[in-house]
Amino acid sequence: MKILAIDTSSQSASCAVTEEGKLLGEFFTNVKLTHSQTILPMVENLLEQIRVALPEIGLFAVTDGPGSFTGLRIGLSAVKGMAHALGKGCVGVSTLEALAWNLSGMDAAVCPVLDARCSQVYTALFRSGGDFPERLADDEAVSLSALEERLKKFGERVFLVGDGAEMCYNMFKDRVANLTLPSPALRFPRASSAALAAGRAYLRGDVLPPASLAPAYLRLPQAERERLAKLTKEGSSI
Amino acid sequence: MIRFLSRSTRETEEFAAAFAEKLRPGDVIACRGGMGAGKTAFARGLARGLGLTDEVSSPTFALVHEYTHGNISLYHFDMYRVSGFDELYSTGFFDYLEQDGVLYIEWSENIEGALPAGAITLTLERVDDDTRQLTIEGERF
Repeated sequence: MKILAIDTSSQSASCAVTEEGKLLGEFFTNVKLTHSQTILPMVENLLEQIRVALPEIGLFAVTDGPGSFTGLRIGLSAVKGMAHALGKGCVGVSTLEALAWNLSGMDAAVCPVLDARCSQVYTALFRSGGDFPERLADDEAVSLSALEERLKKFGERVFLVGDGAEMCYNMFKDRVANLTLPSPALRFPRASSAALAAGRAYLRGDVLPPASLAPAYLRLPQAERERLAKLTKEGSSI
Repeated sequence: MIRFLSRSTRETEEFAAAFAEKLRPGDVIACRGGMGAGKTAFARGLARGLGLTDEVSSPTFALVHEYTHGNISLYHFDMYRVSGFDELYSTGFFDYLEQDGVLYIEWSENIEGALPAGAITLTLERVDDDTRQLTIEGERF
């Protein structure tokens, strides 16, 4: 079965087609362009280059969050539209899990980090090494300082991936031992990784009708929401 | 700091149009000023100064208006009804910050904690019915 996956969850965008765990093709960009204008031409181009017609796709996959508000909705809408028209099922893959799949097979702990702004990150923790990443911590929104504490406590060598990886590496490296920043080729969400994760979800039976796909939204820790509210009150009273 | 005493809506627009020439892609203008202070008039001037042909109006209901018909796009926000991070996230604000346009934010008081470090501050104060004191502060001004 062929799986078409797309990722538009952050500044980079990609689409990929896999078949029984083999990557047939992938298109990746990381420029400041509007995903709504680029992702479908990318899909069309990719399918043409690998000589696969859209109706041959058996399953659609998309990174469903966390990530950019607009980006997630672009990716989900594109996949919903194609899957609905063809009457095929969908898999929503956690953006953080997809990132961990980038290092699949390497014997390492992987900490995906997406920049949520305002000193917040979306993060989780995985152990790769086997055929698929093993989840050690749920997807969560936490403050940068909370992530630093977590990594200190964890103690082992950790690979940082995601659009917040470089920022965290530079901030934490002098205080947290054993942090590693992998090559940029492995650091960003990849549709190929989402497709591989979706293949495993399919075997587990985690397939949704297109109408049931929805963006995963991680709420910020209560304390951080109050922090913004307090600043707001001070601002309004001037 | 730039200070300008505007005697009319038209003068506010003219001043904003001239100020627009100093702006660069990625600039964020955090605007403060109450009802009728001339925030939308300033936005109209900015759009004209940036060479945009779009019609400018207050984004009270849509929360953001995009003016894209020109060289540098202008994203015009109204944060009057935005009161927390979750709401701010769902306006797409953080995505607009990544674009190479100018952001102009009315009622920026409401998102003080989320403004980027280099934001330019614009304050519009009412002096009398027609007169407004405009103050611009920022690293380059």
